[in-house]
Amino acid sequence: MDTPLTETPARREKSLMARFWQWEASGILVALVVLTVALSIAADNFLSSYNMTVVARQAAFVGLVALGQTLVLLVGGIDLSVGAAAGLSAIVGSIALTQWGIHPYLIIPFTMGFGFLLGSINGVFVAGLRLNPFIVTLATWEIFAGMTLVITKGYPIRPLGEKFTVFGQGELFGVPLPVLIFILLAAVLVWMLRQTRLGRNIFAVGGNRDAAVLAGIRVGRVEFVAYGMAGMLAALAGILFASRMDAGQPSVGEGWLMGAITAAILGGTSLRGGQGSIVGTVLGALLLAVLANGTVLMNVSGFWQRVIVGCVVLVAVLVDLLRRKD
Amino acid sequence: MTDQPLFEARNITKTFGPVRALNDVSLTLFPGEVHSIIGENGAGKSTLMNIVCGRLRPTEGQLFVNGAEVQFHSPLEAQTHGIAIAPQEINLVPHLSVAENILLGAQRGRAAAIDWKATVRDATHYLHEVDNSIDPRARVTSLSKAQQQLVQIARAAATQARIIIFDEPTAMLTYRETEMLMDYIRRITAEGRSAFYISHRLDEVRDLSHRITALRDGVHVGCIGPEEATREKMVTMMAGRPAKVGGHSLRDMSDRPTVLEVRNLSRDHEFEDVSFDLREGEILGVSGLIGSGRTELAKCLFGATRARSGAVRLDGKDVAFHAPIDAIQAGLIYLPEERKQEGIFPLLSIAENTALPTIDRFGGLLTIRNREMMEEVGKLAAQLKAKFNSLRDPITSLSGGNQQKFIIARWLMRDARVLIMDEPTRGIDVNAKLEIQTVLRRLTEERGLSIILISSEMEELLDVADRILVMHEGELKGIVDRRDATQEGLLELAMS
Ligand SMILES: Nc1ncnc2c1ncn2[C@@H]1O[C@H](COP(=O)(O)OP(=O)(O)OP(=O)(O)O)[C@@H](O)[C@H]1O
Ligand SMILES: [Mg+2]
Repeated sequence: MDTPLTETPARREKSLMARFWQWEASGILVALVVLTVALSIAADNFLSSYNMTVVARQAAFVGLVALGQTLVLLVGGIDLSVGAAAGLSAIVGSIALTQWGIHPYLIIPFTMGFGFLLGSINGVFVAGLRLNPFIVTLATWEIFAGMTLVITKGYPIRPLGEKFTVFGQGELFGVPLPVLIFILLAAVLVWMLRQTRLGRNIFAVGGNRDAAVLAGIRVGRVEFVAYGMAGMLAALAGILFASRMDAGQPSVGEGWLMGAITAAILGGTSLRGGQGSIVGTVLGALLLAVLANGTVLMNVSGFWQRVIVGCVVLVAVLVDLLRRKD
Repeated sequence: MTDQPLFEARNITKTFGPVRALNDVSLTLFPGEVHSIIGENGAGKSTLMNIVCGRLRPTEGQLFVNGAEVQFHSPLEAQTHGIAIAPQEINLVPHLSVAENILLGAQRGRAAAIDWKATVRDATHYLHEVDNSIDPRARVTSLSKAQQQLVQIARAAATQARIIIFDEPTAMLTYRETEMLMDYIRRITAEGRSAFYISHRLDEVRDLSHRITALRDGVHVGCIGPEEATREKMVTMMAGRPAKVGGHSLRDMSDRPTVLEVRNLSRDHEFEDVSFDLREGEILGVSGLIGSGRTELAKCLFGATRARSGAVRLDGKDVAFHAPIDAIQAGLIYLPEERKQEGIFPLLSIAENTALPTIDRFGGLLTIRNREMMEEVGKLAAQLKAKFNSLRDPITSLSGGNQQKFIIARWLMRDARVLIMDEPTRGIDVNAKLEIQTVLRRLTEERGLSIILISSEMEELLDVADRILVMHEGELKGIVDRRDATQEGLLELAMS
């Protein structure tokens, strides 16, 4: 017999278009293009290089946090403490710079290490003790945010000095440094998720924990690393923001949590784990930044912005539903 | 075979709260041996194998590999001692490719630089040893349950384990895949690797094994060689009493009125131009290999998917079901193929799982009339010979086969005209299978229920169905009266 008996009736080669729609982030890419075209027609200063820098920088901070959130969502968890971790790390980093005399160039690695530590706390409770990530990170969110206020008593730590502010304010070939760092890290994560065993294990653990255990994957370790990296990336965003503002504000990171989760979900990352992509998250963060920027350019009241973002998320979920239907 | 066993389990006891799933069980495995474990549903087969592969820890007892005592705290530790399992329930990562699932956690190349080419190549190699029709690049979600089962077996094989545990690997497989799997197991044991093998298909067990151990209620009742292993002997060991004989009398249904008429029903990529009549009180068997479109046809009849063209008439009236609820209200019932995903509510109790779709019947003024519900579920459980501790326990505490029995009970609680059952006796032990067949037969006689029975086991269809419909690759090949049907005839018809 030359045809195998078990062939399913009609399996055809899929067209390029169909393959594009299969991609989780296809919807968001279309949305981003449509929105960009619409805004560049409606507001002539939208495409100016100055405005593009503003958008990119805005996307970079929330985007960095969203990258970490994506990893946690991929392993089937969630991290509500990222915003607060960014804030606390920014403060500790600022103190290390101004009071402990750590060299300005070492502040960023130091703060990232500290952020990894904060994330590890979540990791110990979620991966080690198998507690519910929603509850654990809700608690650490409060703790981190509270610690920030305890340490600062509500006052900013400033100034941070020119040697350090260069990281947040500087540019290379006209591109703000935070944006470059964001792109670089996104690229590293794309590579990690695609080409390293740790990356593939992240998908395996989130996709089916039992199967991962049976395959001999050290599931706890994978989860732990995801939470640690989420803390680390949040800390990086926080300290870069402080560097840009030339001040460790106690309010750093407020509002980043929703932005991070929204960007990841818009980019096609599933809340149930095992499905999603870094490219999607980057596009999600860009879309949020373009939306915010667009409302400003169009003279829409800032109050409306949240309403619009909410609507966009609903539309994105609907599009995703339709995409998966066929 | 040498004197030193490759693996030994000594005096294993396992308790789950008050339930004693295993009681002082010992067994050995020699290099190159296939050692089968048989037993009724809930006898403790899977529990024993889960202990062997490190998923569970024994309450008491010891394990030895090559004569040295070992303790497994995780499946990973068992794997480093060369033990891998292809579990009873499908356990794959749905959104990853087949190839990656096979080499999950063991992708080729370095940890920081996976070599995808080598990974896919190696995975394909392992996959093709078991089955050569599955595309290694396909996503797991696009495969049928049977194909997923094969992928799972390839994954166990890919660990290069010296001991592979097959926990009911053939429950979902049809004739051809089963043959391929048998060949595969013979090949690896010829190389000196060993296997534990669990199946309710006793012919398979006899043909394949070097030794057969029977468990009953968690107790080791004996170990025999294949030459002693007659069907009667095996059933007697498992059940503690002699086997019943299957096979129901032939009936002539040609004068019965038609209940369900299906005319030229088609659905893209699934099945084409299917027409048949279902008579009142009839059991219509549906036979076919994997990919024959049987399940797809059932789902379409039930309104879970929409047909592209064709007509369905119930009692002579045209019907179009837009959703399963329409079908249910018209008197159709569907028992799905994959119980874990489509059949059970894992968080609810056994009683709730069984009574849920008919819960209105037990509605009191404000609350559910619990006692009545329990009584009715209990009665059905006894009829189906289900084994359980308390009806209030979560359904997930049941063995695989017993879960299936309660899902059947669920549908027997409701009055219907047409019952569509997709592999209802999959993974169910011999005696219980006959029991279920008797219940089905009684339903057709007492309630005039008509049944469409999809089954991969031809013996079952030949025992209980009145007529048998044969499908192949989405096409209806013919309908045979049981009187004229033989196993060979059906196979031939499928491939004609
Ligand atoms: N997690 C658990 N909690 C409570 N009881 C359990 C649990 N797992 C298994 N049992 C009980 O242990 C007994 C043996 O179950 P096991 O799954 O080993 O049966 P089995 O022989 O594999 O049956 P089947 O042929 O149906 O797969 C059953 O009575 C079952 O209810
Ligand atoms: Mg079992």
